Amino acid sequence: MKLSDREQNGIVVLEPKGKIMGGPDASLLHDKLHEVMEAGRKKVVIDLSQVEWMNSTGLGILISTYTTLRNNDGELKLANVTDKIQSLLTITKLVMVFDTYDSVVEAVKALK
Amino acid sequence: MDKATISGNTITIPAHDKFLVAVDEFIEGVLRRYNTDESVIADIAISVSELVINAISHGSRSSLDKSIIVKIRKTNGEVKVIVSDHGSGFNPEEIEDPLADENLLKEAGRGIFIVRSLMDTVDIKASEQGTTVTITKAI
Repeated sequence: MKLSDREQNGIVVLEPKGKIMGGPDASLLHDKLHEVMEAGRKKVVIDLSQVEWMNSTGLGILISTYTTLRNNDGELKLANVTDKIQSLLTITKLVMVFDTYDSVVEAVKALK
Repeated sequence: MDKATISGNTITIPAHDKFLVAVDEFIEGVLRRYNTDESVIADIAISVSELVINAISHGSRSSLDKSIIVKIRKTNGEVKVIVSDHGSGFNPEEIEDPLADENLLKEAGRGIFIVRSLMDTVDIKASEQGTTVTITKAI
């Protein structure tokens, strides 16, 4: 997985790319999240449009991000969830946890 | 052992998660040679990654001295993948229900559940000598 980030209308947008399967992926996103929070940013969108697939480790990383932000009065929204990831969120019932949006624009709007 | 070795349709890796990408590239490469649908490739690749992670964390406990063997073959319109380790084994019956409300926000514990959801068959044989998991999926 590769990870880049940008800002859109004052909201941090994280853009993972590739497959989120474990190994160094967790620390990469974890470190970025802490960097974002240390900068005082607590509202985050993860754009999943370029993620081919993820496994349970990837879902664990999303949960960790969600709970870390929530415990610090922050919020996480997911954007551009692919069919494969949506299917995983459905079978694991994590659709009940995450707010998902069809575009980054909509996710950012929900956080404003 | 500090590298992945490939022999025919078998890849052997040290029990460390830095070799997950090597296993994924091997499995996806073989499946593309079988002209497998991309969605099915993803399902099998996800499942194999879950089993290898399980073998690393529950079986061999991230030991480079222990190896994990992944075999893939196609027979009668289905793909069979066998993941085996020589670790201490685990009891699949002890896995908590990942769909229970109290487990929903746990970061781990969904691997085998996801494999069972994505694959047609899942067979787990665990003993003190190690664990062998066989999965099949029609292609």
